[in-house]
This record gives sequence, C-alpha cells and structure tokens, in this order.
Amino acid sequence: MLELRSVTRAYELGGERAGVFDVSLSVPQGCLAVLAGPSGSGKTTLLQLAGLLDTPDEGEVLLEGKNVSALAEPARCHLRLRRLGFVFQAANLVPVLSALENVMLPLQLQGCGEIEARRRAEAALLRVGLADRLHHRPGQLSGGQQQRTAIARALAPEPLLVLADEPTAALDHAHGGPLLDLMAELAAEQGVTFLVASHDPSVIARAHRVFRLADGRLVGEDAP
Amino acid sequence: MILARLALRNLLRQRRRTALTLLVVVAGFLALSLAGGFMAQTFQGLSDGAIRGGLGHLQILPPGALDGNEAQSLEKALPDGEALAATLRRDPAVAEVLPRISFMGLLSNGPKSVAFLGTAVDPVLEPRHMASAEALKDGAKALGGAGSRWLGADPAAREVILGVGLARALGATVGSSLTLMSTTRDGALNAVDVDVVGLQDLGLRELNDRFLTVSLSTAGQLLDAGPARSRLSLILKRPGDVEAEQARLQARLPETTVKPWFELASFYRQVKLLYFAIFGFMGLVLFFVVLLATVNTLLMSVMERVREFGVLRAMGLQPRQLLVLLQWEGAFLGLFGSALGLAATLLLRAGLNALHLQMPAPPGTSHGYELNIHLVPAVYLFVALGLQATLQVSALFPGLKAARLRIVEALRHV
Repeated sequence: MLELRSVTRAYELGGERAGVFDVSLSVPQGCLAVLAGPSGSGKTTLLQLAGLLDTPDEGEVLLEGKNVSALAEPARCHLRLRRLGFVFQAANLVPVLSALENVMLPLQLQGCGEIEARRRAEAALLRVGLADRLHHRPGQLSGGQQQRTAIARALAPEPLLVLADEPTAALDHAHGGPLLDLMAELAAEQGVTFLVASHDPSVIARAHRVFRLADGRLVGEDAP
Repeated sequence: MILARLALRNLLRQRRRTALTLLVVVAGFLALSLAGGFMAQTFQGLSDGAIRGGLGHLQILPPGALDGNEAQSLEKALPDGEALAATLRRDPAVAEVLPRISFMGLLSNGPKSVAFLGTAVDPVLEPRHMASAEALKDGAKALGGAGSRWLGADPAAREVILGVGLARALGATVGSSLTLMSTTRDGALNAVDVDVVGLQDLGLRELNDRFLTVSLSTAGQLLDAGPARSRLSLILKRPGDVEAEQARLQARLPETTVKPWFELASFYRQVKLLYFAIFGFMGLVLFFVVLLATVNTLLMSVMERVREFGVLRAMGLQPRQLLVLLQWEGAFLGLFGSALGLAATLLLRAGLNALHLQMPAPPGTSHGYELNIHLVPAVYLFVALGLQATLQVSALFPGLKAARLRIVEALRHV
C-alpha cells in the first residue's frame, strides 16, 4: 500500500542537521502502523513525506506501487484529495464552519453534491459519536470533540491511507481509547491503512506494526 | 460554490474589520457617484444653455463660415437663407428652422457709441424654441430693465433688446431710443433708429456687455440683407438623433456646412474635458485608497489563517483554488460595498436635492444655480464595475501569498 525507499529529507534546525535519513519501510493495506520515537526523531517529517506534503531530497515514496514522490503539485493535490486523509495533533478545523460543514468540506472539494456530502458527513460524525453536535462550531466543541470531528473529516472521503500525527495527544484516556479502537476497526473492516506518528503506549499497543525512529533513522520494526 | 461559501464565512469572521473595509468601498462609491450626478447636472445645464441659447440641435452654415472671422457679417452667408429654411421646414425630422443673421457695428445714444455684436432672429418663432424669455426675465431685474418684453411681431417695428452690460454702458433703459450703425452687404455705412424694449441677462458677463437682439426685418433694413441669412438653427423632433441627422442633412445639402451643437459649443466641450479630468483624477486617488485598504484587510486575514490554509492544502486544495478563495472574498467586499454605496448615494442624493442648495455662479457667469444631483444609473454601474475590478486586483497579492505557502511551514505556523 505505502512504501518508502531510502527516503532522506534533511533540514537545518537550530544550526544542526535534522530530518530523516535513508528510511525504508512498507505498510500493507488495512494495517494500523505506528511511527514511534521520541520528540525530534523524525516522525512528523516522515509522515509529511508519506502524505505528499513534502518532497524527499533522496529516495522514493510509492503509493499502491507507483512512485508518487516526483509528481507535480497538481497531481499531488489530486492524490491527497482522493486517496489520503490527515489527522493533525491539533484538530485544525475551519473555525467558521460547523462540525458537519467541516466534514463536508473535503467531500465537496472532491465534487460531491450537497445532499450526498451531507449524508456521508453525518454518517462519519455519527461513527465518531458526534451525532448531537453536527451544527456546533469548533469553538463550541471540547478538544476531544474537535479531534473526533477531524477524524470524521479525514475518514468521510473514504481514503486508502490515513496519516495521523499524534492524534491522541490532545485527548484524555477516556476519549483517546475509543478513537484508537475506531481506527483499528476501520483498518480491519474496511481495509483503511493508518500511519500514525505517536509515542503514546496505548497507540503502540493497538498497532499492527511499529516503526521505531531515533535521530531521523529507522532503528527497529515490531509487529506486536 | 463551496469556495464562495467559505469566502463569505471568512468575511464574517472579523466583522469589525470587514465593516471598516466596506466603509471605505462605500465612501468611494458615494464620492464617485455623487460627483458623476453633479457632472451630469452640469453637462445637462450647459447643453440646454447651448441649444436653447441659439445653436439649436444643428446649424446650417455657409461654406467656410467657421474659418477665420466667425460670420459676423453677411460676407459669408446663405444667399437665400429664407428659401432654404422653408425647404427644411418640410423635412419630417425637423421641428422648426430659425434663421439668424449675425452682425456687428456701433450702438449710439448720441454722445456715446459702443461696439456691439448683434443677432437678428424671427421675433415670432424664437421665443417658442429658445431661452429668450428666461434671459428677459433676468434682464427685467437689472437697473432700467423694468417692463422688458420680447420683440414685436410687426415687421415695421424697429426694436432692440440689449444685454444688461451694454445698456449700462450707454445709460439706456427700456423705452430709450438709440441708433444702430453697421455696414450693408455692399460695404456702405447705414443706420437705423431703434427703441429699447427689453434688457437681457445672458449669464455671461462678456456677452451682456456686447450683445443685442433685433428682428430679422430690422437687421434686413440695416444690412440690406434681402433673403440672405448668416445661419439656420434647426430644432429636431428627436434630439437624440443629432449625429444621424447631421450626416443625412449634410449629404442632402452639400453646398452648406451642417454642424451639431456640441461641435460649436466650445465652452461645453472645455468644461466636459475639465470635469472628466477631475473625475478621472479623483477616481485614481480613490482606486489607490480602496486598493490599499482592501489589500491590508485581506493580507491580515491571510496571515491569520496560514495554518488553516496549510490544512486546506493538505486536504488537497490546489494553490489556484486558494487564489480563487481570496478572489471570492474580494468579490463579496465589492458586491456588498457597491450595494451599500448605491443605497447611501440614493439617500444622500435625495437629501441634498431636497435642501434646494444654491450653488455659487461659476467663473465668468453672472448667476448661480440650484444643486440638483442627477440620477445616472450608467455612472453607478461604471463606478460599481471600477470598484469591483479594484477589489479583484487587491485580492491578487494576498491570494498569491496564500497560494505560495509551503504546506509543511504553514502547518507549523503558530
């Protein structure tokens, strides 16, 4: 499903060379994979490369067997819109839109009609337990509810791969657990692939595969 | 449409800032549309003044009449102007033909003589189509002007109407007897005694000091004019057809020169050019004011939404779609600003016109006029389109800035 081949992306941070270096990994379809490691280990950089938000200096990113790292920006945008979903550490919802409208947004950008987008957005919000918060603006939702809305937004367009950066960092255990259960369920039932950057043990515990990073390098791979 | 909806919501995000920007657009619309209405009033007044001041809609002139000394004698004349006038009166597009003789000479009260510019007109037809009555009404208020009346219809009557300045120079009043002196077509000196029956205020000081009006029969005797006429003023049934009728009549009368009123009214043309220059300059200044205000608003709005733009781009939004989003925001600012500006213009126009404000006399003229800002939908449309274009331009720079953001940097933005 997703494969990184000898990927390197270096940048200067505080006068030092940081980033990821010569990382190769493979995530099969329907897998809940976790990039684990301490802060600064390169988890977010690797996630951004896998999510086509950034371009590697060296190496290749393959999605469904095709090298997508050298694609032009319009083609990358198209892939992100149609195939990928993102969940950020902070929910990053559009503050002027309601929860429902936030989830409808990527669907409408795909060209989905108003009624169909609404139906699918409502279903996604129902799935994350926010059926009673459809018309609330982000400012009227708790941190957990915002994050669940962000997950609904990522899942509603039915992507092949969801990239999540510390999705439970802003949530307490009571809210984080069900969210991870949902991801595992979607991976198992619908074949959605998840690549999650996290150092949360509860996330790692649910993972099908764990890639351990340190100083920008892949130092280990577990299949718990 | 999702981008349009998002743009609209974004404008409501910082309501106070949006309101201030709208206020700038409204002020721009108001200033330009009121100035446009005032200009329309001025142009209307000037064109009415020129047409009803004697030019008519079209003038039939002898060839070369406009070269050199402007037909102030019968040297250049329509040899049988009366016959030509009679022919033209049968033209279906012509409402009336007013023959005129332009001449000059000396006006004397005995001890004192003053040079004059004279116009001879048909005493019956003239008041029906020209502003002679208004000029007499104002002249009657001048010193010695009491009892002013128009020229009598009797061809034997030898009467004159003087400009108020000319009357003052000779100490003449209504009822005074004066002598008109000029040269006939053959170059012989001739004189006619005339009675002053009225004073006229023509609005321009220079004209009032030199101008007099007599009947065609009086001028005919003085100048031995016969059927010759200096020019014919044509009143058209459809004033909007001036240019088409000019071309048609010129083709029909190749031995004459047919001119529309606006080519002969040089003052009208000069004022129009001046006003267009002022309006253009004002428009340019307002263009920059609106441009700077909206660029500032949209740029601030972009800077506040860097992270949000990063998320939208990560979601798959193309850079050009961010440009479109900002264009929508500019479009809505323009649309609402122009709509509010139009409402404000209509209200303020009605209020100002209801006050019946008296404007001071323009330079060179002798009396003021009442402010009456015209309703000119074409100006409102032009201003709205101009402002809309300004706002679209102002949204370009912030839009490009948003479109050029690097996603990973935008997502890190705090």
